[in-house]
Amino acid sequence: MTILAGIGFTAPWLLLGLLTLPILWLLLRAVPPAPIRRLFPAVTLLLGIQDDETVSDRTPWWLLLLRMLAVAAVIIGLAGPVLNPSRDEIGSGPLLVVMDATWAGATQWSDQSELLAVQLAEAGRAGRQVAVLRLSDPEPLVFQSAAAWSTRIPGLRPEPWQPSDKQLNGIADILDTVEGGFDTIWLSDGLDYSGRNATLDLLHSRGAVTVYQSTQPTFAVRPAKFEDGVVRLTVARALTDDTREVSLLAQGRDPAGTMRVLARATAQFAPGDEEATADMSLPSELRARITRFELEGQRSAGAVTLADDSLRRHEVAIFASRQSREALALLSGKHYLTQVVVPTAEFIDGTLSEVLPANPDVVILADIATLSKLEEAELVAWVEKGGLLLRFAGPRLAASDLARAEENALMPVRLRGGGRSVGGAMSWGEAKTLAPFDETSPFFGLRIPTEVTVTTQVMAQPDPTLADRVIASLNDGTPLVTRKTLGLGQVVLFHVTANAEWSNLPLSGLFVEMLDRLAVSSAAKIREAVNLEGTTWTPTHIMDGFGILSDAGNLPGVPGEQLVNNAIGPDLRPGIYTNENRSLAMNVITEDTQLRTANWPASVPVRGLAIEPERDLSGLLLSLALILLVVDVIASLVLSGRLGFGRAIAPIVALLMLPTDLPAQTAEEADFALTSTNELVLAHVLTGDASLDRVANAGLRGLSDTLFFRTSIEPANPVGIDLERDELAFFPLLYWPITPDQPLPSDEAYAKLNTYLRSGGMILFDTRDADIARFGASSPNGRTLQKLAAPLDIPPLEPIPSDHVLTRTFYLLQDFPGRHKNTQVWVEAAPPDAEQIEGMPFRNLNDGVTPVVIGGNDWAGAWATDPDGRTLLPVGRGYAGERQRELAYRFGVNLVMHVLTGNYKSDQVHVPALLDRLGQ
Amino acid sequence: MTPTLSLRERSETEASRLPPLLAYAEQLAGTVLLGDHGRRRAGLGDDFWQYRPAQHGDSRRLIDHRRSARGDQQFVREREWQIAQSVMLWVDQGASMRFASDKGVPQKQERARLLALAIAILLVRGGERVGLTGTRLPPRRGNAQIIRLAEAWTQDVDTDYEPPEHRAMVPYARAVFVSDFLGDLAEVELALTKSADRGVRGVLLQVLDPSEELFPYQGRTIFESVGGTVRHETLKAGELRGRYLDRLAERKAKLQELCQLTGWQLGLHHTNDSAQSALLWLYRALDGGRR
Repeated sequence: MTILAGIGFTAPWLLLGLLTLPILWLLLRAVPPAPIRRLFPAVTLLLGIQDDETVSDRTPWWLLLLRMLAVAAVIIGLAGPVLNPSRDEIGSGPLLVVMDATWAGATQWSDQSELLAVQLAEAGRAGRQVAVLRLSDPEPLVFQSAAAWSTRIPGLRPEPWQPSDKQLNGIADILDTVEGGFDTIWLSDGLDYSGRNATLDLLHSRGAVTVYQSTQPTFAVRPAKFEDGVVRLTVARALTDDTREVSLLAQGRDPAGTMRVLARATAQFAPGDEEATADMSLPSELRARITRFELEGQRSAGAVTLADDSLRRHEVAIFASRQSREALALLSGKHYLTQVVVPTAEFIDGTLSEVLPANPDVVILADIATLSKLEEAELVAWVEKGGLLLRFAGPRLAASDLARAEENALMPVRLRGGGRSVGGAMSWGEAKTLAPFDETSPFFGLRIPTEVTVTTQVMAQPDPTLADRVIASLNDGTPLVTRKTLGLGQVVLFHVTANAEWSNLPLSGLFVEMLDRLAVSSAAKIREAVNLEGTTWTPTHIMDGFGILSDAGNLPGVPGEQLVNNAIGPDLRPGIYTNENRSLAMNVITEDTQLRTANWPASVPVRGLAIEPERDLSGLLLSLALILLVVDVIASLVLSGRLGFGRAIAPIVALLMLPTDLPAQTAEEADFALTSTNELVLAHVLTGDASLDRVANAGLRGLSDTLFFRTSIEPANPVGIDLERDELAFFPLLYWPITPDQPLPSDEAYAKLNTYLRSGGMILFDTRDADIARFGASSPNGRTLQKLAAPLDIPPLEPIPSDHVLTRTFYLLQDFPGRHKNTQVWVEAAPPDAEQIEGMPFRNLNDGVTPVVIGGNDWAGAWATDPDGRTLLPVGRGYAGERQRELAYRFGVNLVMHVLTGNYKSDQVHVPALLDRLGQ
Repeated sequence: MTPTLSLRERSETEASRLPPLLAYAEQLAGTVLLGDHGRRRAGLGDDFWQYRPAQHGDSRRLIDHRRSARGDQQFVREREWQIAQSVMLWVDQGASMRFASDKGVPQKQERARLLALAIAILLVRGGERVGLTGTRLPPRRGNAQIIRLAEAWTQDVDTDYEPPEHRAMVPYARAVFVSDFLGDLAEVELALTKSADRGVRGVLLQVLDPSEELFPYQGRTIFESVGGTVRHETLKAGELRGRYLDRLAERKAKLQELCQLTGWQLGLHHTNDSAQSALLWLYRALDGGRR
C-alpha cells in the first residue's frame, strides 16, 4: 500500500488517469447547447429577420468543472484510497493487561473494552500469552491465549471503588507467582490513588509498560446537602481544566410511580475550578420523591449520588388538648414537640380530618383521649398505610376510659385507671430514672443522662403481649414507652406528658434523640455516630460501577459504626442501607473524596483510548461521483430548457421537506381554527341528514357570495359544524336546520352551545316547514325544535316586531321569506319598558344582539347555489319567485349584518337617514 | 358509447367551462357598477320618469303613497325609458390567443373573453342589446343573451390568427373587437373599412402578453406559433430584440392609423395588468363614443 499525505492507495498507478482531465476539458467545452423550443404568437413579426453572426455557445465553465470533478472522483475512487492506514509495530512475549477497572472508567468502559479487544486481537495474531489483572478486584494471574480472554471481555466490569491499599499490597504477591518477564499494557482510568506508583515500579521491573488513558474528563458528584431551603450539589472533576457546564438530574418516581427526571440544574466550571455547585430549589413533596442525583451523560457510580432520608423532611402534625389559658407556652403540650420537630421537619397545621388527606409521616397526639368515630377510623386507616402515630399521656388520658377494658386500636397497651405519681411531696417513693435500653429497642445505644427522672406516668395493664411492646422502661420495670405495629404503621405511646409536668424527659437531649430514632424528626442527623451506635443496617440495594442499582440479595448487615468509619470497598458496597424505617445511602463519593489526575513518569508512554480504524474511502468517492453526475444531468436539462428550473427543483425540495411526524390530530384542529378565523366563515350545524346538510352548506355559500358581492363582508366558504367535536367560538352565526329525527346533542355540546350563546353568538333555527305548519309544536319539526332547545339558555321570545333592528340593518325589510312565506319569525323579546317616542319610527332598543332567530321559512333552500352560482332549488313561480328569493337574500344580508354590527342601526343617530329612505 | 351519450357528455363538459367565466365576468362587472360616471340611462336606475294611475296587477309595493295621498287615485312611479343601442362583439378565438408566458399570467384568450363578457354584462344592465358580429348571434337584450355569449366563447378554434368577423354588421351599431392583432393586418383593415362604410364605429382592444412586449429571450431558440403553422429559428435570440420591438411599434402605429381613418378607438391591454382598468377604459370608450 502506498501512502500519500496520510491516505493509503491500493492501486496508486490509477491516479495517472488524472492527467487526462485537461484533455477532457478541451473536448467538452466546444459543444453547442441544444436549441430551445418556445411558443410565441408574435413569431409573425420575427419572420424574415436574419441572425447577425452564427457563433455557437459554449458550455458554461461551472458545468465543465462539475464534470471534471465527477471524473476526478471516479479516478481517485478506483485507486482505492484508505484513511488511517495502520502502521503499528507488534511486540512479542507474554502480555499483561492491567486495568484500573474503577468507577472512574465506567463512562468510557465501552472504549476500554474495544481497545482491549483490539489489543487482544493483535496479541493473538502475534501468538502472545495474555493475562488480565483488574486492580480494583485482583485475582491470581492466568496466562492463556488471547482468544480465551476475548470471550471474557464482556464479563469484565468496573467496580464502584478505587483500589485500596490492601488490594495493591496483594499485587506484589500475585506477580511473584509469575516466572520471567512480560510486557504490560495499563488501561488507566485517569485518576490517581495511593500505591499506584509502587505498582508501576513493580511492573516496570518485569518489562515495558504502556499506559492507555482516556482524555475524557472524569466527573463525580458529592452527596446532596439540604441547606437554606435548597438542595445543594457539588460536582468535582479531574483531567480537564476548561470552562464547562454539566447538567445534574434529580431522578425519582412521579405520582404514578414511574421513574423520571424530576428536576434539572446546571453547574458551571470556570477554568481552573476543581468543583462547581448547583442548587435545586424543590418543593418538599418533590424532594421527598427523589431517589438519586446523577450527571447527565456520565455513566459511572461516581457520577451518581443516592438520596436518603437526609433530604427528606418528614411532615409532622401535632395535636394537643385545647387549653383555656393562653400565652403559657412552656406549659403547652405542644411546645417541646414543636421545638424538636420544627428545625428538621415540615409542620402541618389544621384539624385532624384536614391533615390526614395530606398524608403526613407522623401524627402526634399530646394528651388527647377522645376522638370522634370518624376521626378514629380515618386515623386507623392512615396508620395501617404506614403512618406513625405518636401519643403522649397526660391528665386527660389518665382520667379517660380509653383502652381500659379492652385494647384500643390506637393505643399500644391497655391502661390502668388513674396512673401513678411517685417522688412527689406526698408520695413515699423517689422519682424514677430510666432503665438502660434493651438490645431489641430502637433506642439501644443511646446514652441515658442521669438527671432524667419521671414523677408521674400512666400504667400499662399487665398483658401477655406487654413485654414485646415495651421499648423503654423505668428502672422499676414499668413501661415508659410502648409500641405496637398496626398494618404497615405503628403506634407509640409515651407514658408521660409531652411537657415537663410529669417528667423532665422533654427537657433533656435524650428526648430529641429518642424522637430521632423513631424517625419523627428528619434523618439528617442519622450519620452522627451516636445515632448509629448499636444499630445494624441491612443493604437493600447496591450500586455497581456504572451507577446502576440492583437488589442486594442476601448480603449481610453492617454495624452502624462501620458505615461511618469504613471506606467503600468490597465489604461495604455503595447502595441503600436500612434500619427499621430509616434509610441511609452509602455513596461512592463522600464529602472528602479527592479527585487527582494520574501523572505518569516520562519513561512510560501514554496513549489515548481512541482507536482510528482503517476506512476505505473509495465507496465515498464513487458515490460522490455519482451524485455529481446526477447534478450534471439536471443542470444540463435546465440549461437546454427541457426542464423548467422551478419544476425540477420543487418536487425534490418537497421530498426533502416532507413532514415526518406531525401529530395529525393537532394539525387538523389547528387547521380548522386557522381556516375558521382567517376569514369570516358562516357555519351550519350538521344534522346527520346528508342531503339536508348539503342544502344548508349550499345555502350558506349562496348567502356568502351575496354578501361578498353586495357588502363589505367577504366570507370564506361555509363549513359544517359537528357540535360534539368542533369549537363554536370562531363562528358569528350558526344555521341550524331541524329534522324530526335529529339526535340530541350531548351535555358537553349543550354546555358549549350555552357558552356560545352567552358570549354573543347567534343561532338561526329553521324548522323548514312553514308551508305546512304554523309556528309551535304543531309539526314534528317544531316538536324536535322544542326538545332540542329546552336545555339551551334562551331568553323570552316574541314574534319579530316591525321596528326590530333586523328590519333595517342593511336593507329595509318587513317580511323575511325563504322558500316559504310565513311572517312568523321569533327573536328575543324587547325589554318591557321599551316605549316608542312620538315622532320616532322605532323604539329605542339599545340592547344586545338576539341570540336566537327562530322560523320555518327554509332560508337555506332559497339561498342555495352551486359553486358556479346557479340556484339549486326553485322558489315560488316566475318573477314573483325570483323576487321572493331576492328578499330571502336580503334577509340573510340583514341577519349577518345584525350579528356583526349588533344594534348599530338601532342608534337614533340613523333616524334622519332612515326617515329619508322610508319616506320616499 | 352511443353518439347521443357522447354528445351529451361533450356538451356537459362544455357547459362546465361556462359558469366560471360568467361568474368572473359578473364579479368584474360588479366592480364598475358603483363607479362615479353616471348611469343616466333606463334600466335598474332610480331616475323618475312619470306617475301613472295604478292598474290592476301592479304590486302594492310600487304604489307611491306620497303622490296618492294628494288625491283619491293611486299612482305608480314609472322610470325613465330609453331606446337601446346594439353593440356587436368579436373576440379572437384563434389558437394564437391561447398563450401565456408565465403561470401567474392568464392566457390572452381568457382575458379577452373575460373583458368582452364583462362589458356585455354592463351593457345589458344598461339596457343595451349585445350580440356577436356575423350571423351567429344577433344582438338581443336580457340575461339569457349573456349566457349565450358565454357559451359561444367556450369554443376554441384551432387555426392561428383568426381574421376579424365583419359580416352582417347592423348599420350604425357599435362594435368591439378584441384580439392580439398579430395576424394579417389586411384583414383588419378590410373589417374596419367595411364597418366604417356601414356607419359602425367602435373599439379595437389589443391584448398582448408581457413577453410579447418585452421579448425577454436569449440563446439558440426556435419560436413557434401556438397552432404550429409558423416557426422561426435563431441562434442568438437576444440579438433580435431591438428589431422585434421596432416591428411591434410599427404594427401598433399602423393600427392607430387605421383607427383614425375609420373613427374607431384603439386600446392596448397587457395580460399582467388588472382586468378592471381595461374594462373601465372599454366602458368609457363605448360610453364616450355614444354621446
